Amino acid sequence: MKKSFQEINDKIRSGKAVVLTAEEVAAMGKDHSPSQVAEKVDVVTTATFGPMCSSGMIINTGHSDPPIRMERATLNGVPVFTGIAAVDLYIGATENHPENPAYGGAHIIEDLIAGKDVELEAHAKGTDCYPRKDIKTSINRNNINEMVMFNPRNAYQNYPVAVNTSKRIKYTYMGSLLPRMGNANYSTSGELSPLLNDPEMRTIGMGTRIFLGGTTGYISWYGTQFNTSAELNEHGVPVANAATLAVIGDASKMSPEFIKAAYYEKYGVSMFVGIGIPIPVLDEEMAARVMIRNEQITTRILDYGDPAHPELGRTNYEELMSGEIIFNKKKIKTASLSSIYQARKIADILKRQISEGTFLLSEPVEMFPRGKSLNSLKIRK
Amino acid sequence: MAFKKQRMVLQFPAGTVDEPITYTLIKEYDVMINILNADISHGREGSLLVEISGEQESVEVARKYLKSKSVKISPVVKTILFEQAECINCGVCSSVCYPGALEMDRESRELHFFPEKCVACELCIKACPLQLFELNFGAN
Repeated sequence: MKKSFQEINDKIRSGKAVVLTAEEVAAMGKDHSPSQVAEKVDVVTTATFGPMCSSGMIINTGHSDPPIRMERATLNGVPVFTGIAAVDLYIGATENHPENPAYGGAHIIEDLIAGKDVELEAHAKGTDCYPRKDIKTSINRNNINEMVMFNPRNAYQNYPVAVNTSKRIKYTYMGSLLPRMGNANYSTSGELSPLLNDPEMRTIGMGTRIFLGGTTGYISWYGTQFNTSAELNEHGVPVANAATLAVIGDASKMSPEFIKAAYYEKYGVSMFVGIGIPIPVLDEEMAARVMIRNEQITTRILDYGDPAHPELGRTNYEELMSGEIIFNKKKIKTASLSSIYQARKIADILKRQISEGTFLLSEPVEMFPRGKSLNSLKIRK
Repeated sequence: MAFKKQRMVLQFPAGTVDEPITYTLIKEYDVMINILNADISHGREGSLLVEISGEQESVEVARKYLKSKSVKISPVVKTILFEQAECINCGVCSSVCYPGALEMDRESRELHFFPEKCVACELCIKACPLQLFELNFGAN
């Protein structure tokens, strides 16, 4: 049974497409073969809602009279990047307020999405064409030209579990890690996670239409630190952080329900990003991929008590989501950084939109590269 | 003799902060003191969130001693405030919550808060990425 994107879209348009969430198809997979699933199901919706640091938003504030070529700028006191054209600014999600480490770019992004006013202050040397040197005003979603979310690295394909074997509590981007392996924190939505349902990225590529932050967005490129050389387990999914996505979308149509600013103690600001990706069940092989269950997805347990983060062992998402893992005969409480509750909500919204015919699938314009691995930063003379 | 355990906020008047009252409680009155939170500065008023446990009679005598030192004793009613309506149910707070006051529902993946189990250790305050927990140091 083979289906093309075109055939699946025709079914969506005629309201006949069978759409399931990745959790529903994983459950179905217990008593259905891949060929039966390929026969019955057309689209599987996947989703994630986790803290994704490599995120941000481009805004164009519009020109003042006389105009300014902003060289240093802040929004609610948070520095924003001005190294592009005169009134184009990039708000980095993790940029901190200099005096308030718990407040940063992600909070500005959330406020702008929510329609709130944000204080803009900018300075410049003044030029013949842009004579203004200083400006102080307030901006909001309705009085600026564009707000485009562009996130260079989101939706990591798998991520390690963090524990801490040291004697002191560690405050990390993986949350508060209690001493002597007092807890274990993980961060993916497991069988619901987009890139774990299409590990070889046969259907996900550049130009894929997705759910982003409450509206329609697109995959614009492969994400930074994109790695297709990670070790695979017996079910063909990487056991380490591997592929990533760069995504883009119109933030003026997003919702603060699906974009949330976050602060991790002593680490800094990050941003929860809601992403949903539909996967077409093109054939039996894709059916086998989307049927993956939490117990079939392996991940590594790393020690964040040691700066080198050595691997201590392995576990799977079935165990992690049970609330505790047993490691070295010790019961360790587990918790997720990403919200499965929110991810389910996104997968359901996408399922409804596709079932109603309001969200069509897009075939990638170009597939992602294969055989990519990571460089590390060498200290050279 | 019955064993008694009480959680309370002790408010020390300015003059008593330099006295080793907690030491005296343990040494002379044979009660166990588990300090859950402290806010003390020399020369100023101080407060201590403690769990006092021991034989009922010892706890009663210890309370009388505290009163004789003008320490105000307030039983703790609410210690951690949780702005649950804003919660996104990530549940990362649940792995640091040892008394089990914050638990994830394994099916619905929603976070549940059981204030009666809370010992006000405050780990959730720093664990929550949305900063939805707040310590209510006061008492009724």
